[in-house]
Order: sequence, then C-alpha cells, then structure tokens
Amino acid sequence: MDGPARGAPTLVDPMTDAIQIAQLRKTFGDKTAVNDLSLAVPSGSLCGFIGPNGAGKTTTIRMIMSIIFPDSGSLSVLGRPSAVESKDRIGYLPEERGVYKKMRVGAFLTYMARLKGVDGAAAKRRSADWLEKVGLGREGKKRCDELSKGMQQKVQFIAAVIHEPDLLILDEVFSGLDPVNRRLMRSLIDEQHRAGRTIVFSTHAMYEAEQLCDRVFMIHQGVKVLDDTIGGIRARFDPRTIVAEPEEMRGVDPDSLRALPGVRSVEVGTSELTVRVDDRTPPYRVLAALAGAAAMRRVELKRVSLEDVFIGLVTDHDDAGALRQELRRTDEAEALQGAAS
Amino acid sequence: MMKTFLVARREFVTTVFTKGFLLGVLMTPVMIVMVVGAISLTQLLKGPTVTGNIAVIDQTPGGAVGPRVLERFSTERIEKERADRAAAVGKLAEEQAQKLGVAGPQTQAAGRFATAALDNELAKLKALSVTVLPPGTDVEEQKKLLGEVDVRGQRDVPGKGVGTIAVAIVPEGALSPGESGAYSRFELLTANRLDTEITSEIERRVGQAIVDARVAADPRFAAGGLGVQELRRLLDAPDAKVGAVTAGGGVKKSAGVFQFMLPMAFMLLLMMSVMTGGNYLLTTTIEEKSSRVMEVLLSAVSPLELMVGKILGQMCVGLVILVVYSGMGIASLFAFALQHQLDPMMLVYLVVFFLIAFTTIASMMAAVGSAVNELREAQSLMTPLMLLIMLPWLLWMPISRAPNSMFATILSFVPGVNPFVMMLRLSGSEPPPAWQPPVAILVGLVTVVVCAWGASKVFRVGVLMYGKPPNFRTLLRWIRMA
Repeated sequence: MDGPARGAPTLVDPMTDAIQIAQLRKTFGDKTAVNDLSLAVPSGSLCGFIGPNGAGKTTTIRMIMSIIFPDSGSLSVLGRPSAVESKDRIGYLPEERGVYKKMRVGAFLTYMARLKGVDGAAAKRRSADWLEKVGLGREGKKRCDELSKGMQQKVQFIAAVIHEPDLLILDEVFSGLDPVNRRLMRSLIDEQHRAGRTIVFSTHAMYEAEQLCDRVFMIHQGVKVLDDTIGGIRARFDPRTIVAEPEEMRGVDPDSLRALPGVRSVEVGTSELTVRVDDRTPPYRVLAALAGAAAMRRVELKRVSLEDVFIGLVTDHDDAGALRQELRRTDEAEALQGAAS
Repeated sequence: MMKTFLVARREFVTTVFTKGFLLGVLMTPVMIVMVVGAISLTQLLKGPTVTGNIAVIDQTPGGAVGPRVLERFSTERIEKERADRAAAVGKLAEEQAQKLGVAGPQTQAAGRFATAALDNELAKLKALSVTVLPPGTDVEEQKKLLGEVDVRGQRDVPGKGVGTIAVAIVPEGALSPGESGAYSRFELLTANRLDTEITSEIERRVGQAIVDARVAADPRFAAGGLGVQELRRLLDAPDAKVGAVTAGGGVKKSAGVFQFMLPMAFMLLLMMSVMTGGNYLLTTTIEEKSSRVMEVLLSAVSPLELMVGKILGQMCVGLVILVVYSGMGIASLFAFALQHQLDPMMLVYLVVFFLIAFTTIASMMAAVGSAVNELREAQSLMTPLMLLIMLPWLLWMPISRAPNSMFATILSFVPGVNPFVMMLRLSGSEPPPAWQPPVAILVGLVTVVVCAWGASKVFRVGVLMYGKPPNFRTLLRWIRMA
C-alpha cells in the first residue's frame, strides 16, 4: 500500500479535516481524469488547488460535491461519506456557473438560499444585505441578464456563501474578473477565512494562490504532484540562486566570483549576474561574499514562486513514472525533515 | 422533500406568471370566440349587389317552366321566404332560451343577427330580373351577348338598362322522361366572372321551377290531388330520435354529433395539457443547462430532486391548462343544457390519465433536455417522442369508430399511447369492459416508473455534459452506466 508512504503530508483526522480523499480515481472513457488522488483539507484552512487547465481540478471538486461519483477510492466531506448529506453546510461556486437570466437578482439569491435550507425571511434579508455589501444594493430588482459579467460573478459568489457554510469550495473564482473585482473577491475570501470557514479554491493562476493560501495542492494530469503549506514549499524548494546587479558590469571579473567559496556557477547577463550556490553552503554566506567582491547595486536571494515550482514539477515529468519518482523523492526529503525536527 | 417543493414552485411560478403563458393559455379561448364571431360578422357584410337579367329559353311544350322561374325570383316570393325563415329562427331561439332558463336580450340579439344575415343573402336576389325568351331564340346570339357583358360594370348602375348575365336553356325533355326513363338536364350559361354564389342560386331556383313544372304536368299527381308541397313533405326523410338503452332499462338520449365530439374533446384536452407542460419542461431544462446555472443548482439539490421538482412544477402547469379548458368545456355544456351527457367519472379518469401520460412524456422530455445544449440539438432526439405524441391523432378515427375492436383493445395496453387510447374509449358511446381501465392504469403506472427511472439516469449524466449532443445509443449507455 503506497497510500501512507505518499500520504505523509496528508493528515488523516476526521475531526480536524474538512475534506479527506483517499486513492480517488475517475475515468471518462479511456481518459483518466483523476488518478489515485489522496489529500486532506484541514478544517479552517485556506487551500489552493492548483494545476493547469485539464489537470483534473474540476473533476475532483465535482466528486467532492457528489455531483459525479468516483470509480474507486474513498471520500469524506465534513465527516460524512458523501457531500449529499452535508450539502447545506457546503458553499460551492462551480467553474461552469450561471444565473437564471430572466430572474430578478434578489429573487435568484433568495431562491438559492432557500434551496440551501435558509428559511424565507432570513433568505430575503441576507440577500439584500449581501447585495449591499458588494455594491449591488440597487441592482436587486434588476433581471440577472441586465448585470455585467463582473456583477454576475459577485452574485454567484453570494449564492455560494449566503447560507453561511462551514466549507467553501470555489472553482476558478478569479477567472473573468477585472483587477478591482479581483481585489474585492480576495478580501471577501479572506473575510470568509477569518470567520473560521474552511476554503478550497482552485485556480490556474498561481500568484492568487500564493497571496491567499496557507496550503497548496498541485495536480497535473490527474496526479497530485505537490501538497504542502506555502512555508513548506518555500523551505523545500530552497532557493539557491542569487541575483546580483553590479554598479558597472565591466568592473566585475566573473572568474574571481566563481572562485568564491560555495559558488557553483556564475552566468553573466547584460546587467545582472546569476549566481548558483552549491548544496553545502548556506546562501547568506555567498550573499555576503558577493556584496564584498564588487561594487553592487543590488544582491538578493531569488525567491521561488509557485509558478516556478509548478513549471519545474510538470515540464520535466510528463510521464507518470517520472512523476512518481519525483514524489517519492520529495516524500523522502519530507520524512527526513520530519525526523530532524 | 422541501427542496423538491421549492424547485417545483419556482418552475410553476416562472412558467405561469409570464405574459407568454397568460396570453397563450387564457387568450386562446378568447381568440377562438373572436374568430367565430368575426366569421359570423362577415355574414352581415353586404356583398356587392349584382344587377342583371337572367334569360330563360324555355323549350318545353307549353312553356311551363319560364313563368315558374319568374315567380321564384319575384319580390313577393323572396319576401315570403324571408318571413318563413325568420319565423323558424325565432322559434329555435325561443326553444333554446326555454331550455337554458334565460330569455330576453341574448336570444333577441341572436334572432336579429340571423334575420340580418338572411336579409343580406336575399337582397342580392332582388336585384336580378328574369326574362323568358321564346323557344326558338338563337342560343349562339345569346352566347355572344354573354361574352360581351361586363359583370362588374353592371354593378351599382341601376337603370342603365341591365344586360343579360345568365342564360338558362331548358330543353324539351326536361319535363317528360325520354325512352331511357331519364329527364333531360338543363343548361346554364353565365357571364364570365359571375359570383359562384349567384350562379348556384340561379341553378337552384331554375331547378326547383323545373321540378314544380314536372309535377304539375304529370297527370298521375294531378289525378290524386297531389301538389308539389305535399310531395316534398312526403319525400322528406325523417331524423330519428336516437337513444341508447342503459343497464337499468332507461334510455339515454344520444346527442348524435356530440357522441363523436366528446371523446375527441377529451383526447385534445389530454394532449394539449401534456404537451404544453412537457414543452415547457424541455425548454427550461435546456435553458438551465445553456445558462450554466445547472451546476450552481446541483450544489444545493441532487439531480433527482431537481428533475422530480421540475416535473412536478410543470405537472401543475399542465393541470392549470386542463382545469381552465375543461372548465370552459363544462361551462359550455351547461350553457347548452347538455351536462347530462358528461359522466363525472370521466373527469376522474381524465386527471388519472393526465398524470400518467404527463409523467411518462415529461420524464422523456427532461432526459432529452438534460442531454443537449440548445433547443436546436433537441430536434433529432425529439422526433420519436413527437411520433409517440402524434400517434393518438392517427388512431383517433379508427378507435372512435370501433372503440371495442381488437385493435383498440390492444392499443389500450401499449405503453405511451395507452392513456390517450383509453381516454378515447372511455368517453365514447360504448365504454370498454370494466376490467380494462384498471389494467390500462396499471400498465401506465409501470411505464411511468420505467421512464422516470431511465430519465433520472440520463438526467444525472446529461446535466453536466457539454459539447457534442448525444444520440440514442449514447443515452442508452448513460442509463446503463449511471
């Protein structure tokens, strides 16, 4: 059984995990959409579920929502074996989302709230309050198709949270939003998070996840390639690249820099030097040495972005075998790290 | 349960409280009344009066026909006909009023309406004159005159010396049978573009004049003192008072045409209510899919809850139509004092068969709606469904003629069409044996269960399936797979 071995970052605790997935598998015809996926979403966390288009994010989310059913594997949502039993405690914003075009905005939200178990009077009040909150207070009487796309997105978000769910699943929540509304959406998500709700949101835009999440799942071609906290990822993908910008390029001798202790290689660009640090030396030592070696305008440790991690993980390992190897390697590293601390 | 109810309520409210529905359903009967009214009103419109002369070339011995034609077109004669018919209409209106227990304005208005229509009809004839020409008149000469006359030009210019617009040539043998025993036919030549209404009126009146002349000329009638009037009365075949003897020995009066119309009315009602609700279900399902609101809904309700809710909601829409139209039907039965023709049990059967037929067809509609992305794509999947719905139309005649034939009996148990067929047979004059309706209902219920089960499978897979519209094989695979 390779579940526990790979599941090292996956905490299996029904009391604290809002979602648990073990060895989930789903095929459509001869295409495997999700392959042997295991993960756990801790209660109260804000998790990013990232991967390129077609990675299997939406399929996984639909399985979590019991909209489609897995071929094999087990699943638990809010302590129940199926989301059907706890639908009213889950808020779901699907990727394929729309509104009843001819319905009035207020009526649509009230209807959705009522469908999720909110009683009539409260549903009406909450929909009015929410519309006010996102700046659509005057649009309540309008028909849904009179709203702009951005406004419709807000209405859909309200529809997902109006019943005050314990778990919020947002599929591609930022797509189609302009920068102003992105910021609004981020603050709304943050507010939900601070209210103690567990939030899972999927995106293919890595920087959104980086800014918001405390935990990230990365999935590629139906297989999980990364499952860690943001801090953990930063530690794991330990940056060993330094960018140095000298006052004057001509005054720098690359060979003398290469001779510095701990330097593996130096690349010379037009205005920048890219220095790689070997595995044994702490990067700060090289930083200090570089700063003293020439007149530098700027010397900094290059920060790893999720995107770099992701690209690094998925472009080199297009076949499953290589991916598994990669996973085993990172799992071992994790185990060693765990043993050390 | 609550969610299903909420879905059903929304489905019902958003369908019924729209201008389209209210206009379509409630205005249709109003429109029918208006069209019927408009047609009746055209009777009052004064048609163009044709002024002209009818020439009769009477070649019969003694020239017995000519004067009779003259008499048939005379003002006195026409006035008398008008008076007779007006009296008949008045009598009929009075009878109806007594039956209904109403009197006064409406019946008087109807009477006035009928006499006004009559006046219009007869006024045209008053403008026609008749000339009897000698038997030796040159027919070719007359034809030439007819060819030159302009019928339109004769209009509204009275006193300008009317031209001949028609020539009736009554041959010698018209009054006495030849060797073969047959009377000769007469010839009627008219000017080009003469209204058919006038042509046929001339033909009728000349024909009657010939018959009158025949009877008068025949010595056998003269000897027996038998006039044309008596003879006409003698030959008039009477209508029967038709009645069916019921089990208790009582006689149920038959309303003739009504017996034939009632089953059709019931089937139409059933079809209309099933189709309207079913079509709305198809469009709303497709709309939910194409507007991508489907998955948002599925975050709150299960596909089964959604489908059942939608079917129940549209079922109520169908019931509204059923109640509105059958209510109007029943009201008109009372208005014509025919309510005894309607067995209240029929209404119970109507509702039962509506529920069965609707659920069967609505399930299939929901399945089709969930499988496609837009209405256009639904066409190919709808074809067999439409066939199923149109089938009772084709079967209506053979079944209502012989409601207890082997053919009708078998069809009463064929899933899909059996609610319609059974309704036709039940409301007909010869009800089916007592064991058949319950069995038909049972077959219907089994059909409902099977269809709803299959539809729920297709629905669950279909609602989230975008892209290429599926064919039947794919739908069957979905049923097996889900």
